Amino acid sequence: MASITMNAVAKRFGRTTVLHGIDMDVADGEFVVFVGPSGCGKSTLLRLIAGLDEITSGTMSIGGERVNDLPPKARGIAMVFQSYALYPHMTAYRNMAFGMRLEKAAPGEIDARVRAAAEMLELTPLLDRLPRALSGGQRQRVAIGRAIVREPRVLLFDEPLSNLDASLRGQMRVEIARLHERLGNTMVYVTHDQVEAMTLADRIVVLNAGRVEQVGTPLELYHRPANRFVAGFIGAPPMNFLDIEMRQGEAGLLDGRRLRLAAPAGAALIGVRPEDLIPAEDGVLKGRIALVEELGETHLIHVDLGPATVIAKAQGASQVVRGEILSLAPAPARCHFFDAEGARLGAGAPLPATSA
Amino acid sequence: MGEIGHWSPGAKAGFAALITVIVVAAVFPFYYAIASSFRTGSDLFEPSLALAFDPANYRSVFAEQPFGRNILNSVIVATAVVGLSLGLGLTAAYALARVAFRGRGLMLMCILAVSMFPQLAVLSGMFELIRWLGLYNQLPGLILANMMLTLPFTVWVLTTFMREMPRELEDAAYVDGATPLQVIVHVFLPLMMPAMAATGLLAFIVAWNEFLFALTFTLSNEQRTVPVAIALITGASQFELPWGNVMAASVIVTVPLVLLVLVFQRRIVAGLAAGAVKG
Repeated sequence: MASITMNAVAKRFGRTTVLHGIDMDVADGEFVVFVGPSGCGKSTLLRLIAGLDEITSGTMSIGGERVNDLPPKARGIAMVFQSYALYPHMTAYRNMAFGMRLEKAAPGEIDARVRAAAEMLELTPLLDRLPRALSGGQRQRVAIGRAIVREPRVLLFDEPLSNLDASLRGQMRVEIARLHERLGNTMVYVTHDQVEAMTLADRIVVLNAGRVEQVGTPLELYHRPANRFVAGFIGAPPMNFLDIEMRQGEAGLLDGRRLRLAAPAGAALIGVRPEDLIPAEDGVLKGRIALVEELGETHLIHVDLGPATVIAKAQGASQVVRGEILSLAPAPARCHFFDAEGARLGAGAPLPATSA
Repeated sequence: MGEIGHWSPGAKAGFAALITVIVVAAVFPFYYAIASSFRTGSDLFEPSLALAFDPANYRSVFAEQPFGRNILNSVIVATAVVGLSLGLGLTAAYALARVAFRGRGLMLMCILAVSMFPQLAVLSGMFELIRWLGLYNQLPGLILANMMLTLPFTVWVLTTFMREMPRELEDAAYVDGATPLQVIVHVFLPLMMPAMAATGLLAFIVAWNEFLFALTFTLSNEQRTVPVAIALITGASQFELPWGNVMAASVIVTVPLVLLVLVFQRRIVAGLAAGAVKG
């Protein structure tokens, strides 16, 4: 059992409150990803789980045991750091063996576990190298190896891929997903990259300014964001937002144009994902094309509506060019409505079925 | 500024002359000491710069006083001072650089302030302290007194280096289950070797050359360190200045120092060039 339970966990540094009472459960064997803009407190929360910072108030339990006052080594956790934090004067082998040596484990046991981890991460030929003789990706694998050698109950990742170049990042992402499948232990992963969050997570926790905005599966967050912040944070390019007002139970833009959409009472904002904005002859969102971005398999059209610019995304190559007038219509069932405070109104579209 | 190769001949000549003056000014006293140490009697006062090789002075330095014992004393004192300074300095640097506590800045300033007192100002107080501790005319007394000279800069330099150590390295060691002492010994110490070598060398030189405390806190020839022993070398009669012996003794104690600097200098440079701190 290595579930994590947080109860009103708060963290203050001096007078600054970084985390305001976080309540959260991470199930045994679950892969949970914390995302949020920089300064939202996601790394601090991870350090609180690790025991590298002290909790100001609230309780943190790992595997049913209260760990507030336990040092990192007594919590059964291991951590992979953003800068890898390999000991520069130790070979890859000694980096991975360091923790077990401190525990005074039997040398045969240490050797067996280090070699098994190295085998799994394809590090065996590199074990005698110093970190400075390894590439970024290799260093990251050694750091992961160091974390898994001690067979922790919980594996923590602090933006582990942000120092790698794009292609390597994709490759390492797949390796981490496979690692979770093989080891099956609880993993908590901090990132600001939503592609990593969407692809790796069983559940995503969106943090903003020290508060949890929403917890849910990647598709829940994408299709039913709980509020404006989550809606704007998840998805790239971001969701389009337009201020609306309700006139006789019908939504309309502030300049008087009618949206011809049924909207829940109290709606002040409509959100439409770029792929849900469809070119239409009689589309109500009409404006001049400011930019067309060709991405090959898809294209993005930036349309200047006057009060705001919206982005529409469609398959293949675009049939329009910059400067033309384009009319767009939001797909009726796929619009998101928010009240004046930014909270979601209505249930939204049903989630697409997945095999999982 | 371009490379020297692009300078005009006049500038080159001027630069060479400047370097010559600096080198001569730095090296000549030592050359004169070596030259004098090999001469005896009235030869000493001949205005000649030629080198002779008469080891008589070296023999008499050891014959006329317990000079071997004095060297041993100096080695013991300097080594102990270096060991204690580095040990205390490293642990203090960890606390001052890594642990946030109230009064940290004040403490650092106090440590710095200690090194601002002239030795003379603390001499009588230190004398009382050493008498009270029962360490008068004993090497531990000298070690204690010398620490006052070496600890402040050791702590400051090591604190500065310790601050440069990446935070995540320390965190990683804690996650691996290390205690603070294990972090210092297994992670920071190997990475700070260049700094340790540099400060250790400076501390060694200070303790090796220290004169005032060594003169004041020792009484008998057998407890003296080298600088005091040299200053108190007397001739066969009251009216003879044993210049040759003094010079021979000076050369004996300076050569190991020069060798030490050369050896450790290479270590320091090698350590820095290897990028030990960079991950």
